[in-house]
Amino acid sequence: MRKKIVAILLIATMAMGIAACGGSGDKKDDNTITVWCWDKTFNIFAMEEAAKIYQEDHQDVKIDIVEVGDVDVQSRLTTAGTSGDLSTLPDIFLMQDHAFQKNVLSYPDVFTEISEKKIDFSEFASGKTDFSVVDGKHYGVPFDNGAAIACYRTDILQEAGMTLEDFTDITWDEWVEKGKVVLEKTGKPLLTTTAGECDLLTMMLQSAGASLFNEDGTTNIAKNDTLKKVIDTYCKMKDSGVLQEVNNWDEYTGSMLDSEVVGVINGCWIMGTIQTAEDQPGKWAITNIPKLTNVKGATNYSNIGGSSWAISGNCGNVELAEDFLASTFAGSTELYDNILSCGAIATWTPAGDSDAYAVPNEFFSGDAVFKKIVDYSTKVPSIITGPYFHEARDAISVATTNITNGADLEEELKKAEDTVNFNMGQ
Amino acid sequence: MIKKMKNIGMYAFLILVTFISVFPLYWMVSASTNKSVDVSKGVLSFGSHLGENLKNLLANQDVGAALVNSFKYAILLTIVSMVICSLAGYGFEIYHDKAKDAVMGVILLAMMVPFITILVPLFQMVAKMKMLNSTLGFILPTVSTPFLIMMFRQSARSFPHNIIEAARLDGLSEIRIFFQMFIPTMKSTYAAAMTITFMNAWNSYMWPKVIMTQSKSMTMPMVVANLTEGYVTDYGMLMLAVLICTLPTALVFFILQKNFAEGITGAVK
Amino acid sequence: MSNKPRKMTLEKKHNLTGWAFLAPAIFLIAVFSFWPMIKALVLSFQTGKGTNMQMAGFTNYIRMFQDDVFIQSIKNTFFYFILQVPIMLAVALVLACILNKKDLRFKGFFRTMIFLPCTTSLVAYSIIFRSLFANNGLVNYVLVNFGILDKPYNFLTQPFAAKMVIILALLWRWTGYNMVFFLSGLQNIEYSVYEAAKIDGASAIQTFFKITVPLLKPTILLTAIMSTNGTLQLFDESINLTDGGPANASISMSHYIYNLCFKYVPNFGYAAAMSFFILLLVAVLAFIQMRVGDKRD
Repeated sequence: MRKKIVAILLIATMAMGIAACGGSGDKKDDNTITVWCWDKTFNIFAMEEAAKIYQEDHQDVKIDIVEVGDVDVQSRLTTAGTSGDLSTLPDIFLMQDHAFQKNVLSYPDVFTEISEKKIDFSEFASGKTDFSVVDGKHYGVPFDNGAAIACYRTDILQEAGMTLEDFTDITWDEWVEKGKVVLEKTGKPLLTTTAGECDLLTMMLQSAGASLFNEDGTTNIAKNDTLKKVIDTYCKMKDSGVLQEVNNWDEYTGSMLDSEVVGVINGCWIMGTIQTAEDQPGKWAITNIPKLTNVKGATNYSNIGGSSWAISGNCGNVELAEDFLASTFAGSTELYDNILSCGAIATWTPAGDSDAYAVPNEFFSGDAVFKKIVDYSTKVPSIITGPYFHEARDAISVATTNITNGADLEEELKKAEDTVNFNMGQ
Repeated sequence: MIKKMKNIGMYAFLILVTFISVFPLYWMVSASTNKSVDVSKGVLSFGSHLGENLKNLLANQDVGAALVNSFKYAILLTIVSMVICSLAGYGFEIYHDKAKDAVMGVILLAMMVPFITILVPLFQMVAKMKMLNSTLGFILPTVSTPFLIMMFRQSARSFPHNIIEAARLDGLSEIRIFFQMFIPTMKSTYAAAMTITFMNAWNSYMWPKVIMTQSKSMTMPMVVANLTEGYVTDYGMLMLAVLICTLPTALVFFILQKNFAEGITGAVK
Repeated sequence: MSNKPRKMTLEKKHNLTGWAFLAPAIFLIAVFSFWPMIKALVLSFQTGKGTNMQMAGFTNYIRMFQDDVFIQSIKNTFFYFILQVPIMLAVALVLACILNKKDLRFKGFFRTMIFLPCTTSLVAYSIIFRSLFANNGLVNYVLVNFGILDKPYNFLTQPFAAKMVIILALLWRWTGYNMVFFLSGLQNIEYSVYEAAKIDGASAIQTFFKITVPLLKPTILLTAIMSTNGTLQLFDESINLTDGGPANASISMSHYIYNLCFKYVPNFGYAAAMSFFILLLVAVLAFIQMRVGDKRD
C-alpha cells in the first residue's frame, strides 16, 4: 500500500515537473512574422503562397502561420486587449471586415496603423477598405472579396422558360414576379436564406448605400426608409413562397446542394461551397443581385463577408510586416493568380486585369466569373459599419423575425432602435 | 408471470433509451464515412468515403500532435485533481465542524460565476506567472474544483466512522487512514470522478483556446473547431474528426464503468 | 478531570489535520477562482469601453433590469431550469436503479450506451440535433409519415418549440452523466438492506422511495446543485442549437453575457454584473437545496 502512495505522489510531482518545463513564451525574432488566420483551403493557403513569393527576395524572413478560427481570434484579441497583456498576439492577423470598427475603437493598442506610404490603398475598392478605416487611418490590408453575387441553376430556370438574362440587372419586385412563375412551373423556391440571420437584409441595405448608423455614429433604424423598404421586400419574398427560410448554415448549404432551390445570393465566397456539388457542373451561372425598387441610390451590387489583414500592436518589426503585405496582398498579381484556384478573389484592382481572371470557368457555365466579380466589387456602395454593427444586426434580426410573424413594422423598428441605443448608452 | 411482464417492460424501456442515446451517434459514425455533400443532404447509410475523409483530415490538421496534447493535459489534470480534491472532500466530511461546513458553502460559490467573467483576470494572472502555452497554465486553474470536492465529501458520508476509530486505535496516522482505508473503499467514487474529470478536461475549450496560442499546443477540440471555421465546411471530414475526438472519453468510460457500477465496495464490513 | 485536556488536544489535532487536508484545494481555488472573481466583482461596479473604465456604483446592476434582452434571457433560463432539472434527475435515478439490479443482463452495454451522449463533442451534438429537427429532418419525416402532422413543422423557428428542442437536447446529453453519480452512490448502499425490505414484503416502489431515495440523499443533493448550476449557466445549447432565436426566444443568460464580451462592443463591467446576478440566483437555490438535503443524521 505504501508503495502505491509513493507511486501516486511520484507521478503527481513528475507530472507537475513535466508541466513546468512545457512553459515557454514566444521568443520574438525580428525576421519571423507570425500570422493568425483560419481556413486551410482559403486564407491559410493564400498566406502560404504569399510567404513563398516574399521569400524569393527575402530568404531570411520566416512566415509562421498559426491556424486560429475567426471566433477564436476575436476572443483572444478581446482577452489580450482587456487584460493589457499583448504578448500573446502575433504580428499579423486576419479579421472579419465588420469587426474592425468595434475592435479598433475598443482596443486601439491591439492594432498598428498601416502607413499609406507603403501601401497604395486607392488600388483597392473603397467599399472594401472603408471597413478598416478608423478616423481616417488605415488598419487593414484587404484580403478576400465579399462582393455579393446571385447564383442560379440555369437548368431549372430553363424548365420555367427563363434564362440568366432574365435575372440580370433587375429589381427585387421584378425578381419576385419572376420567382412566382418559376415556383409555379418547377415547384422550387428561387432562393434560400437562414431565418433570424440578417445577411440578406444587410446585403440589400448596402446595395443602396444605406447604413444602420449616421455619419455621427447615431443609430438610423426607426426612421430609415431604405430599411423599411428592405424589410417590406423581404416580407413579400417570403410570403410569396419564392424565398425559403431555413434554420441554419447546414440546412442552408444542404438546400442549395440538394437542388431544393433554384439559387442563392451571398458573398462570392459561396462559390467554394457550390462547387462541392460535383454532380452539377455547368448548371450554375452567376449574375448580379436585384436592386431595390424606387430607392434613391439603389444598385445591383453589394458586399457580405470578407476579411482583411491587420498588423498587431505586438508586432516586433512593423516595417517588415508592412513591406511583406505591400509586396504581396497589395502588390503582387502573381499572388492573386496563384490563389485564384482556392477561390480567393482579389479586391486589389490591378489583379483583375490579369489573364488568369479572364479564363472561363467550366463549373459556372463557361463564364469568366472572376473578372465579373472583380468588376462587381468596384461598384459596391460604401457604408458606415460603426462599432455597434453587431448590436444593430441582432436587433434588426429580432425585428424582422417579429415582423414576418405579423408584428407592426414601425413599432418593431422603434424597439430595435431602442435596443441598440440601450447597448450604446453607457 | 407478472415478474416476467415487468422484466419485459424494463428491457423495453432500456432498449428505447439506448436507441435514443445511440441513434445520433450512429449518425455521426455513418456521416464520417460519407462525402460532405451527402452529409449535408442527410444521408443515413454508410458510405465509402472514410479513407478519403481520413486522408483529407490528416493532410489538413496535425491530429497526432493534438491527440498527444489532449491526452497529456487530460491525464495529468485527472491524476492531480483526484489527489487534491479527494483529500479535501475527505477532510471536509471526516473532520467536519461548523467552520468547515461554512467554508464548503463558500467554495461552492467559485463555480457559480460564468467562466467568461473571470477569463480576463485569470488570463492576466496566468500571463504574469509566465504560464501561457504551458501545461501548468492549462491545468492549474481547473485542477481543484468545488464540484469534485463536494462529490468526495458527499460520498465520504457513507464511509463508516468506526473504521476510522479502529484504525486510530491501531496507531495509524491520519494521512495513512486516508490512503489505506478511504481510497480503496471508495473505488467507485474515484472511478466515477475520474471519468467525469477526464471528460471535462478532454472537452475543455474556452480556456485552452485563450492561453494556448502556439500551433504545437493545440488540443483535439481546437482541431475540430478549426474545421468548422472556413467558408466551406467538409462535413464528412469534420464528422470523422469529431468521432476521433469522442472515442477516448467513451473508452475511458468503458474501462472504468465496472468499478463504479459493480459493487466492489463490499470491502467495507 | 485529568482526561479533559488530553481530549481537547486530540480534537484540536484532528481539527488541524482536517485543515491540512483541505489546504491544497482551498489554496488553488482561492488563487485561481476567488481572486479573479474579486477582480470581476470590482469590474462590475465600473463602466467604460475596452481598457478605459471608471467607477460607476450600482449602474450596471440597475441597468440589467432595464435590459429587455436580459430579462427575456432570465425567463428563458428559468423555463429550462424548471422543466429540465427535475425530469433529468428523475430519469437518471430510475435508470441507475434499473442498471443496478443484480440479475440484469448486458448491464455494461446498456450503461455505456446511455452514458455515450455526454462524451459527444459539442460540434457533433449540435449538428445532429439541428439536422434532426430541421424542416426536412428525421423528426418531421417520421411525424408526417405517421400522419401526426400533415406538413413539416419548423421547430427551430417557433419560440416554444425551439425551447423544447433545447430541453430535449439537454436531457439527451446529461441524463447519462447524472446516472453515473447515482450508480456510484448506489454502490455504497448495502445489498442486505434491500433483502431485508424484500423479506418485509415491500413493493419495488416502496423500496425506491423508502430506501433508495433517502440513502442516496447526499448524491441527489450533489446532482441537484450541479444541474442547477449547469442550467443557470446554460450556454452551449443556446448558442449552437438555436443561436438564441427565434427573436431571442431561447437565448440564455450566459449566452447574452458572451455576446456582450465577445460579439458586441466589449462591456466587461456590465457582463460581470450579470454574472454576479447569476451567482446570486444559483447560491440562493443551492442554499435552499443544502438546507433541505444536507442534514447529517
